[in-house]
Amino acid sequence: MVVRTKGARCRNRAIFIRKFPKQKGNMAASNPTSRPNLDAITDDDFEYVDEEFGSSYSPDQVQPQPEPMIPDLFKQPPLVKDDLITDTSRLQDQTVDHCLPFLAGEDGPLELNDYGLPRLNREKHVKFLKQSLGPLPGRFVAMDASRPWFLYWCLSGLTMMGENVSSYRESVIATARTMQNESGGFGGGHGQLSHLATTYSVILAIALVGGEDAYDVIDRKGMWKWLCTLKQPDGGFQVCMGGEEDIRGAYIAAVIITLLDLPLDLTPESPAYDGGRSNLLTGIAEYVRSCQTFEGGISSQPNNEAHGAYAFCALACLALLDNPRRVIPSYLDVPRLVSWLSYRQYAPEGGFSGRTNKLVDGCYSHWVGGCFPLLEACLGSSGSGSKEKNRTATGLAAAPETLYSREGLIRYILTCCQDQTKRGGLRDKPYKMSDAYHTNYVLSGLSSAQHQWDLDSDPLPLSEGETTPTMAALGADSIWNVFPYIDDNDQIYEDSDRVRPIHPAYAIPQKNVAGIKAYFQGRSGFA
Amino acid sequence: MPPKNKVATKPKATESAPATITTTTTNPTTTTSTSQPASQPSEPTTVLERSQHRYEQTRPFEAARRQHGLSKLSKEDQKGWICDQLLHLTDRLPAASRSRLLGPKASKEIWWTINGTNSIVRGLKYKHKSEPHTTWGTDRDGHDVGSYSIERFDERTKKRIALTALQVSSRVFRENVEREKRGYVDARSGQEVIVTEREIDEEKVRRSKMAALKKELYGEITGKLASSVEWEDVVPIPHEEPEGALAAIAYPAEYAEAMSYLRAVMSKKEYSPRCLRLTEHIIAMNAAHYTVWLYRAANIFALGLSIPEEIEWLNEVALANLKNYQIWHHRHLLVEHYYPTIASDPTALAQFAKQERDFLIAILSEDTKNYHVWSYRSWLVGKLGMWEDEEELKSIETLIDEDVRNNSAWSHRFFLVFSNPKYATPGKGATERDEKVTQELVDREVKYAQEKTYLAPQNQSPWNYMRGVLVKGGQQLASVQGFVEEFVVKLGEGEEEEEVRSTHALDLLAEIYAEKGENEKADLCLRRLAEKWDRIRGGYWEWRRKCLTKSAKVVEEETEKVEAVAVA
Ligand SMILES: [Zn+2]
Repeated sequence: MVVRTKGARCRNRAIFIRKFPKQKGNMAASNPTSRPNLDAITDDDFEYVDEEFGSSYSPDQVQPQPEPMIPDLFKQPPLVKDDLITDTSRLQDQTVDHCLPFLAGEDGPLELNDYGLPRLNREKHVKFLKQSLGPLPGRFVAMDASRPWFLYWCLSGLTMMGENVSSYRESVIATARTMQNESGGFGGGHGQLSHLATTYSVILAIALVGGEDAYDVIDRKGMWKWLCTLKQPDGGFQVCMGGEEDIRGAYIAAVIITLLDLPLDLTPESPAYDGGRSNLLTGIAEYVRSCQTFEGGISSQPNNEAHGAYAFCALACLALLDNPRRVIPSYLDVPRLVSWLSYRQYAPEGGFSGRTNKLVDGCYSHWVGGCFPLLEACLGSSGSGSKEKNRTATGLAAAPETLYSREGLIRYILTCCQDQTKRGGLRDKPYKMSDAYHTNYVLSGLSSAQHQWDLDSDPLPLSEGETTPTMAALGADSIWNVFPYIDDNDQIYEDSDRVRPIHPAYAIPQKNVAGIKAYFQGRSGFA
Repeated sequence: MPPKNKVATKPKATESAPATITTTTTNPTTTTSTSQPASQPSEPTTVLERSQHRYEQTRPFEAARRQHGLSKLSKEDQKGWICDQLLHLTDRLPAASRSRLLGPKASKEIWWTINGTNSIVRGLKYKHKSEPHTTWGTDRDGHDVGSYSIERFDERTKKRIALTALQVSSRVFRENVEREKRGYVDARSGQEVIVTEREIDEEKVRRSKMAALKKELYGEITGKLASSVEWEDVVPIPHEEPEGALAAIAYPAEYAEAMSYLRAVMSKKEYSPRCLRLTEHIIAMNAAHYTVWLYRAANIFALGLSIPEEIEWLNEVALANLKNYQIWHHRHLLVEHYYPTIASDPTALAQFAKQERDFLIAILSEDTKNYHVWSYRSWLVGKLGMWEDEEELKSIETLIDEDVRNNSAWSHRFFLVFSNPKYATPGKGATERDEKVTQELVDREVKYAQEKTYLAPQNQSPWNYMRGVLVKGGQQLASVQGFVEEFVVKLGEGEEEEEVRSTHALDLLAEIYAEKGENEKADLCLRRLAEKWDRIRGGYWEWRRKCLTKSAKVVEEETEKVEAVAVA
C-alpha cells in the first residue's frame, strides 16, 4: 500500500532553475571561471520557483492520488532470466523479492514524493552516526582494531549531511594521539601496530575536523620513514610491517604522500631501496595495472577476482599520481573496466554489486559508484579544460551525460538502504542492520550520484623520451569542479536531500583536502 | 478495625478503609486517627529490601499511594501526598525560586504539613524492583547483588575497600619501578629510587591478594592473568585513553586485562609459550586483531614451533570465523616460513599441497565465494607450484558444477590456466594477448565455457570467461559468432519476433559486428539493449554506440588518407 500525506502531489514544490548554463557539447567555449565552484554551491546559486498550482492548493480540489511515478524497470524482475536454480540464483531471487516492496514504496507508512521516493532521513542518520562515535558497548570489542575507521566513517557521513564536525576537533586530537606510534603511523588503538588503513582513517578524520592543532598531531617525519619500510620492490605497499601487500596499500600510500606532501626519497631501510633510482611512487601504477583481471575489473592483489572496492582504490590511486585523462588509459584497459563497472548495476534493485553474480550492497554505491566520476574524467567527456571535445587520450568516445543509471542508484539508496526504524543509519540492503561503514559509503555514493565532476586541467606534457608519465603525484593537484547533477528529465528526489560533494579521489570535501594540503605544503622539509 | 499500635499492618486489612499515615506531632487533632505507614514490611533481609524500606520510610505518603491508590487515602494523607509531590517536583529549584513558584503561604503550609512525617527532606528517588540490575549489578555468578543478605553485602563492601587499598599501594610500587628505571632522584632524600627485593616480594603478595579479591568480587575471569603465578613478573600496561576519546569501547574486563598484558610483553619483545597462549586468549575474544596475529606469528617463528601443528589449530579458528581475513594472512606467513623446509622433497610438498586443498575445499563448502580464501588459494598455487596438479582443476570444476554462477571459481580457473609459468609470459596484462598461449588450450577453454553457457545463458561468468580466453589467445571474437547468435533471434524484426535469451550474447554480438566493421548491425544490438533488453545500462550502451561512430570515423579518415596517397 502506498501511504502518502495529504497534498503530497500538489504541495508547494520548489524546483531549481540553474543560473549557470547547462552546456555539455560546447563546454570548452564557456568560461570556466564564470561557473560556480564547489564550495560556492549554496542555495544562492539557484532560484526557487513555486509551481503555479501549488500555492492555490486546497484539500477539496484534490483529484484521486495518482500512482507515484516509478518506472517499470524498478518494479519488475529482469526480462531475461534463466530457469536453472543454483545457490547464486536463489540468493539473487530472494534479494529481488526483498527489495521490490521497498522500491515500490509498499514497505510501510512512509511519506513518499511524486516519484515514489521517501526523504533522506537526515535527522535519524545524524543521530545514528553521533551514537556510533561512542562510547560503544562491550560487544564492539571485535572492532577494537578498527576504531579509527569509526572516526572517519562518522565524521565523513556527518559532514556530507551538512553537520559541522569541527566541534569534535579536541576529541579527535586526543583520540588520535593514543593511536600514533613513535615509529610512525597510526594503529587501531593504544599499543597496536601502525597500519595503513587505520592511518588513512585517522588522517582523513583529522582533515575533516581541520585546524592546525589537529594537523600538528601527525608526526610527518615518522610517517615518511614508516611508509618507506612498507614500500616493496614491485611498487606496492604492505599494509603494515609483516602484513599483506595489496591495492588498498597503494591507494592509501598515495593519499598519505600527497596530503602530507611527504618527500619521495626512500630511506636505505626501505625494502625497495636501490641506491636512489626508485622513490616512494616508483612502480605504483604498474602494481595497479597488475591487479586488473580478465573480466576488466580490479582485484586486491594480482590474480584474484575482480571486486568493486579495489576498482575504486585503483582508479583513485592513479588519479593521484597523474592526470586521470592520461594515467588511467596508460595503465588500464578502459573499455573492459567500463564494461565491468557498468555490469555492477542491477535492475530492478538499482544498486551496485561488488562482483559478477554477487548481490547488490549499499556500500558499493561508493566503491563502484565512486569510480564513475574518475572514469568520466578519464574519458574526457566533461572537462571544460580539455582542448578537443569528443576526443580523448584513449581514442575512445567521450562519456555520455552519465555512464550509469543515477536514478537507479538513488532509488536503491533512498528506498532500500535507509533504516526507517528509530535506529536510523544506512545499510547494505533491506533486513540488514545499519552500521557506520554502510552509512558513510552509501552517503558517499548518493553524493556522487547527485553531482557532476569536471576535471579542469589537461595533462602536463611528457618530457622528452617519456612514454608514460613520470610519477610525481601530479594528479593530486588536478583541478576538479563540481556541479549539482541535473537530470534532463525530472529530478526524482527533493533538493533538500542533496548531500555535500566529496573529492573524487580523497573521498572528503575539497575544502578539507585543500586545508590539510596547504598546511603541509609549507613544510616540505622536516623543520 | 483491630487496634494497631506499633504493629505492622497487613495490607489486606487496610484495603477497605482509608489508609492514614499523617503523624501526630504536627497536628494534635489527628492524633487518634494515626496509623503506621501502610506498607511497613517486616525487617528487611536483603539489600534491595533495605533500600526499598528506606525509601518508604522517607516517602510515607508516596509509599501508601503506591500500595492503596490515592483515592483510598484519608483526606489528610491525600493532602500530605500532594505536598510531598509538590516539594519533590520543585526540589531541584533553589529555595528562593521555589517559594516564588508556590507562593510564600503555600510553601509554608507544605512544610507545616509534612514536617513531622519524616518525609521529603531526605526523600529518596524510587527504584523499581524490575530493574535491580541497574541498581546493584550482578556478581560473577550472574546473581543480582541486590538480593544479597545485608550481612553478605557488608562483607562485600569491606572487601572492596580492602581491594582499593591494595590497588593504591600497588600503584605506588609500580610508580617506583618506573622511577627506578628512569634514575629518578627523590627530592627529599636526595637519593635515587631503588625498589628492594622486599618490596617486590610484598608486591607479589599484594598481587595475589588483589587477584583473589577481584576474583571474588568481579568474577573468576577478571583475575585470570593477574592471579596466575605464571604472569606474576609482568607489570601490565593498562589501556590509556583520555576522557572523551571517540569510539571508545567499554571493554569486557577479561579483554582489557589480556590486552594490558599483551602491551607489556610486546613492549619487551618477549617470545614465549605463555605469550602464545595469551595471543590465543585474545584471538578467542577478538579474531580481527591484526596486531595479535602478527605477534603470534613472531612467537611461533622465534620459538621454532611446529608449523603443521599451528595450521591444525588455525583450521579450527578459521572454521569458527569464516569472515575473518587476518587468519588467511597468518596462514600465508606460516606457509612462507614452512615452504623452504619441504621445497626439495616432492613427496612432502605434494602431501602438504593436498592437505591444504582438502582444507580449502572444506571451508569453501561453507562459504563458496569467500574472497580471502580464494586469494589465499591462488597464492598457494603459485607458491607450491600446483599448476599441473590435476586435482586442483578438478576441484574447481566440481564447484562450477555445483553452482555454475560461482564467479570466484571461474576466476580461479582463468588464473590456473593462463598464469601457468610454463607458458604464460610474465608481466602480460590479464586483458592482453599472450602469444605463448596455444590454440589447443584456447579451444579447450572456449568449449568448456560454451558448454556451461547452455546451462544458463544469462549467467555472465562463462561469457566473461570465454571473452577473456579469446583475447588471451589473440583470437577474433568473430570466431564464436555462430555460437553467440544462437541466443539472439530475429533482432530488430519486431517486438513479437525478436527474442533474446542472453543480454550478454547481444553485448558480445555488438562487439563482433564492430570488429567486422558492420557498424549498423552492431548499433542495432546496442540500441535494442538500451531500449528493451538491458535498460539499466542505458548510459553505457549509449557510450558504446558513440564509440562505434568514432571508430568508424577513424576508419574513414584513414581510408581517405590512403586514397589521397594513392591518387598522388
Ligand atoms: Zn556492504
